[in-house]
Parts: sequence; C-alpha cells; structure tokens
Amino acid sequence: MSFRFLIFILTSLFLNLSAKAQDAASLNIYTYDSFASEWGPAPLLKEKFEKTCNCTINFIPNNSSIGALRKIQLDGERSDADILLGIDSSIAAEAKASGLFAKHNVDLSNIKLPANWKSDSFVPFDYGYFAFVYNKEKLPNPPASFEDLIASNIKIVIQDPRSSTTGLGLVLWLKSVYGESANKIWQQLKPNIITITKGWSESYNLFLKGEADMVLSYTTSPAYHLIAEQDNRFTAASFLEGHYMQIEVAGILQASKNKQLANEFLSWLISDEAQIIIPTSNWMYPVADVELPMGFEGLIQPKNALILVDDLVQKNSNIWIEEMLSAFN
Amino acid sequence: MLLTKGIIASQKRKIIMLIIALSISAFMTLLFFSIINVGNIFASNTAVIKIDILQLILMSLMQASLTTILSLSAGIAIAWALNRLEFFGKNLVVSLFATAIVAPAMVVAFGLISVWGRAGWIAQLLEFFGLSWNFSIFGLGGILFAHTILNGAFAAHILLARVDAIPARKLKSAQSLALTPFKRFILLDWAAISGALPALGSIIFLLAFTSFPIVLMLGGGVANQTLEVAIYSAVRLSFDLDLAVKLSVIQLVLCMIIIFPAIISNSNLANAGVNYSYKWQQKGLAQFTQIIILVLAVFAFALPLLAILIDGIAGGILDTLSRPSFWQASFTSISIGSLSAILTLILAVLIATGRAAFSNGILKAILGLPVFAYLVIPAVVLSLGFYLLSNKLDIATSTSAPFVLIIANSLLALPFAIAILAPAIETINYRYDKLSRSLNLSSLMRWRIVEWPLIGREIGIVLALAFCFSLGDLGIISLFGTNEFTTLPYAMYQSLGVYRSNDAAVIAAFMLILCLMVFWFLPVIFRKISNAKN
Repeated sequence: MSFRFLIFILTSLFLNLSAKAQDAASLNIYTYDSFASEWGPAPLLKEKFEKTCNCTINFIPNNSSIGALRKIQLDGERSDADILLGIDSSIAAEAKASGLFAKHNVDLSNIKLPANWKSDSFVPFDYGYFAFVYNKEKLPNPPASFEDLIASNIKIVIQDPRSSTTGLGLVLWLKSVYGESANKIWQQLKPNIITITKGWSESYNLFLKGEADMVLSYTTSPAYHLIAEQDNRFTAASFLEGHYMQIEVAGILQASKNKQLANEFLSWLISDEAQIIIPTSNWMYPVADVELPMGFEGLIQPKNALILVDDLVQKNSNIWIEEMLSAFN
Repeated sequence: MLLTKGIIASQKRKIIMLIIALSISAFMTLLFFSIINVGNIFASNTAVIKIDILQLILMSLMQASLTTILSLSAGIAIAWALNRLEFFGKNLVVSLFATAIVAPAMVVAFGLISVWGRAGWIAQLLEFFGLSWNFSIFGLGGILFAHTILNGAFAAHILLARVDAIPARKLKSAQSLALTPFKRFILLDWAAISGALPALGSIIFLLAFTSFPIVLMLGGGVANQTLEVAIYSAVRLSFDLDLAVKLSVIQLVLCMIIIFPAIISNSNLANAGVNYSYKWQQKGLAQFTQIIILVLAVFAFALPLLAILIDGIAGGILDTLSRPSFWQASFTSISIGSLSAILTLILAVLIATGRAAFSNGILKAILGLPVFAYLVIPAVVLSLGFYLLSNKLDIATSTSAPFVLIIANSLLALPFAIAILAPAIETINYRYDKLSRSLNLSSLMRWRIVEWPLIGREIGIVLALAFCFSLGDLGIISLFGTNEFTTLPYAMYQSLGVYRSNDAAVIAAFMLILCLMVFWFLPVIFRKISNAKN
C-alpha cells in the first residue's frame, strides 16, 4: 500500500469526524448509545425540536449513561456538553454532588410519576420498573414474589451491579423491600441465578437464546417484542412486593454557554409532542399524560412503585453492592 | 577496529529494537501518568467497594494456568492431526481455527452457547431422541471450555505452521529410519513446536488472566472472576482512578513476573518458515487417532463459529445490509484494521529482527517484555489513558480517535505477531547471520534477500491476525465511539442494547466471514509474492 493511500484514508477519516456543525445556537447532548442510535428517540427528537428552535441539536453517544457522566467529569471545563441526558435516579445524587450541574428552570408541575421524585438539578423524562421478563409458553407458572422465586427452581440471569444499571437496580430493589435482611435474600436467591453478566445486553441475549427462564429487565420489555416484532410470547412477572423504579433524568451543565436553549429543550422534552416518541423508541413510560401506544395496555402495572431516596442511595450503594457480592463468595 | 557493514547492520537492528521497546514502555508510563494526574481530583465521596485482591489473584492464576495447559494441549493435538491428514477443504478449516481468537470474545461465547447451551443444538438434538441434556456451560468448566476454544484453535494454527515447516530432508531420513509415530512426534514435531510454546503459552496465559466478559458471563456468579472486573468497577462505578491504576500495575507486574521465565527459556530454534510440501502420512492407529482428533476439533471448535454464521443468516441479512450505518461502520473497521495491520507488521518485523541479533537470553527477554505489557492493561484503563492523553495534548477526541484505535490495536496485536514471526526470524538469523555478515549485506538488503523470501507466509498470517484483532476490538472504541465514528463490534453491541439481537447476529457473522477470508487468502498471497521474488 502506498504512502499516499495511507494519507488519503487518514484524512478521509479525519474529515469525516471533524465535520460537526459548530453554529452559535447548537446544543450538545451527551447520552447513552442506544438513546442516540438510529432506532432510539434521538433522531426524531432532533428533527422535531430543530423545526421550532432555529438551532442544531447534537446527540453525542457514550457507551453508557455513567460513561457519559464520567467523560464530562474527566473533561471538566473543556467539556463541550450542554446537557447530560439519561443518567438514572440512582446516580443522580452523585452527579449533583460533582457540582458540575446547574439548576434548571423547567416547570415540573405537570410531570406524571408514580413516585415522588424531585430535583432542582435534574428533569425526569421517562421511567420504568425493573422486572423479571419471561416467555409465557416456556414458563406457565411464573413466580409472584421473590419468595416464590426462591422456593422455585426457576433459573434467572442478572447483571453485575458494578457494571450495569439494571444490576444495581436489583440491589436497590431488594434493599427497598427487605432492608437489613437483603443479604439473606441474596444468599437464598443464589441457586436460582444461572449467571451474572457485565451488561443488560448479554443477559437479555442469553435469555432469548433460552439459557434462562427469566431475565432481569423492565416491565416494558415485552412491549418491544409485541410492537416491533409482533411477538406476544413475552411478559414480565408481577411481584407482590412491588417493583423498583428507574427514573431517567437530564441535567444542564454549569459550564454550558447555551443554558437558555438547554432549558427550552428540557421543557420541550417533557411536553406531549416529545413524550409521545418515548414509549416506542426508548421502551419506557413517558412522564407526560400522552396516549400510550397499543400493546402497552397489556403490560403489568406494579401496584407498589418502590424507590429509595437519592442521598441514601449515594451514601450506601457501594456498601450494598459489597453485601450482594459477599453473598456469592 | 574495523567494523564491516554486516556487523553494523546487526548493531542497527539491536538499536532499533531497543528504541521500540523503550518507546512502548515510555508510552505506557505516559498513559498511566495521565490517569494518575487526574485521578487525584476526584476524591471519591462514596465508599469504595472492597475487594479481596489476594483471592482474586489466586482464582485468576488457577484459571489462567488451566486454560494455558488445556489450550496448548488441544493446539498441539490438532496441529499434529492437521499436519498429517490431507482432505478437501483443509485450508478452510485451518483458517476457521484462526478466527476464533480474533472474533470479539462475546461473539464466540454466544456461539458456544448456541451449540452447548441448555437450549442449544446438542440439547435440541438429544431432545429429539427423547434424551435430556444436563450439561451446564456456566461455572469454571464453562470458562475453561470457552477459553480453550478461543485459544486452543489459535495455538493449533500457529503450531501447524511450525510443523509444516519441517524440512523434507528430515522427514525423508526419518521415514527411511521407519520411526514410529511417537518417535517421529518427539524427534521432529516437538523440536519444531517447542520453540513457539513459551511465547504462545505466555499470550494465552495473559489473555485468560485478564479475560473479563467471558469470565463474568460464563462464570455463573461473581465467585469466578478476575482482577479486570475490579479495575473496571473502580473506573466506572467508584471513579477511583488511582485505585484503577494501582490494580492495573499489580496485574501488570504479576503477569510479567509469571511469564518472564517462559520468555527466557525461548532458546529452541524452529525451522525456517518455508512450507515444504513433502507429506509423510502414517497409517494405522496413528491415523485413526488423528482423524478422531480432527473430527472432535471440528465439532468443538467449528460448530460454535458455524452457529454464529447461521444465526447471522437467520437474522435477516438484507435488512441489516441495507442500512448505510452498517456500511459506514464496515468502512471504518476495515480502514482501521488495514492500517493497524500494517503498523503491527512493521513493529513486529523490527522487534523480531532486533531480538534475533541479541545473543544474551536474559537481555533479549527483558527487551521483549514491553511487547507483552499491553495485553495485561485492562482495556478500560488503556482507553481512559488514551482519552486523557488526547485531552492533555489538546487534541479533540473525535480527531484522535482513528489514530488511537490504530495504535492501540497494533500494540495489542503485537505479542501475537511476535509469537508468529520471532521463531522463524530467529532461525533464519542462526542459519544465515554469519553468511550475511561475510557478504557485508546492509540491513535492508539482508531483509530483502534473506528474510523476506522465507517468511512470506508468516507475514500474511501476521497481517491477517492484526487486521482481525483490530476488527474485533470492543474495548478501546468504547470511549471514542460516536454516531459518526462507529466500528462493527461497536455497532453490534449497540444493536444488542436496543433489543435488536438479529442485527447483532448479522454483524457478528459478517465480521467472522471477513476474518475467515482474510486468514484464508493473505498467507497464501504473501507466500506467493515473496517466493516469486526469490
């Protein structure tokens, strides 16, 4: 290969990358990759909002929401992020403590959440419940509680709380239900856990391949199969203890030069026009009172929505993770 | 004293090697330092997850040692069988064996599960006959199985090249002495492969020691894990970067100490890399055993890869192939892969020829260590270091991304490249060094008329390996990927994250086919080119 060809490839790669729009009115939104992907909400949100604002919206994907937060922390003042979108309620307190986020002026009075969650730094834009998803044809008698699950020989696959937000979700779920005795429940649950994966993706794929009877996921996961694949075999097990909530939030960076525009975007994000996009692109519940698409009506509705106070989670999550890990040693 | 050109050439080679070894070490130190500098800023306010480092190390040591022994044994047995047997499609099988190690580990693990899992092919087959399948792929057994599949096939590929290079004259004289299959193995094959074993074993050990997604996924719980996961959580969860660097250094030093004796012992000479086409097949029990080994190997090694291909075809190829994003990712992956393959080859040739010029074994080994070092640094730390370094140099990460990917992937592929090239170059040096010196050949001339014609095939393998290695990388890209800059494995993982497991299956199959083609053709092409010039 000639040297000239090398240069050609390098420059074409280079140009490809640096071709980002740098208008005066542009908004850089750091988020996790599936949100920003061509199947996620980002393309539609961008298209709709850009029509009204005379601005450019750049969704910048990261391998996870925590990854996006870490990148912003590492970049510090150099960061070009205006908004961090997609971190969940369990790390919101830690994000706030970093001092990197500004107070928003978005009116949250019309927000519809099953649990009381407030923050002057973050705007909730969707939510969901953690749940164990199963295939109705293969598992006719699903457990109705953690106790049922422990008593059964049903095999589940979960995620490592150190690398996955759903994995952390289960730790918080058990903690909110069992408090001090969560450790004991972990030990009893151990025989049911076929394996623990690094991320949700691996777990879900193992489940789809038939390796586990149930997978730790969301109550809304079956809606994907129903709506996108016309497959009605999947459903989530409703647990008597209630289901732990995951609230996804967005915050404006203190260093942003476009705070006004950022606030406008977040206000719009929780409007009906934007929220109607969420259910079938992010497969979560919207926070506005919009009509849910066909298929969502059949999902299980947790009677008891569980969530722990942010500060408590921030102070203790690592201790609780340790507790969970020690049950496996 | 009058130095002839040949001696100067040999000195030059040593110096170049020295410079590269030092640069790699310096570069690594730089990466670590850019992390430590920042690490102090984020005094973590949450409790750090305590880990029992000693226990993790002991677990990893056991797992990695078992993996190494199993993989090398499988590799030797398969290489032995493949060398003796001739059959239609042999080249394809040989290429297939090489692709396992370079495909993203996760893809291979899923392929394994498609075959051996609770609802896999074997379980379905047995169910058809009314039998039940109680084998569980999860646990230490599963980890070892997956690691042996990944590394054993690769070992077989490398060792086969060594056995195939046994000169015809040796085979003929052994045949005239009517050596038994066992004696033939010991006297000829073992002599040929043992030189490659220390480096190969070291690489496999390091890969197993630092394996993360496979260990976690197939481990069946957090009881089986490696230091790597603790480092990952220190970076991602606690954001304790100092701890991450500390743990990485522990892992680095420990691994280097363990593989050092293996590298020193690398004194056996291999045969020069020419593939002599002389075949001496042995009938009877030996041949029967060879056939059994090969059938088992194809069954164990090729089925999981076949499963990946079949899952991909069943996944709806056309839908995925019609997406521009897929082709963009392919273009990026192939460009990055090609460039890092070339860089790997250049570095590997310079290091291998330099190494061969040293006669002191210990010095040689010490200089060889930096080559292995990158394998041991967790991808999450490596990409973090690159990211911070890029920040510090005031280069936008979107600009540095392709360069970082090319450099990082080359450094990761380098130990494999050395393991392939070094034994051949060492032998050439042993045979032709004095002759080259007496002919007063300059470095370049010597390379063109001595080394190049003899190692064409190895060069092809190195290029193919480095290309595929870069193609399968999922670690470095994670901090640098954007919507505009996406590689195939990144796109694959992204698809999995949005329930689109079919797309992921298609991309995995595509990557596998690409690797297979590259492994099939490059070694042949390069052997032809280099021999033609001879």
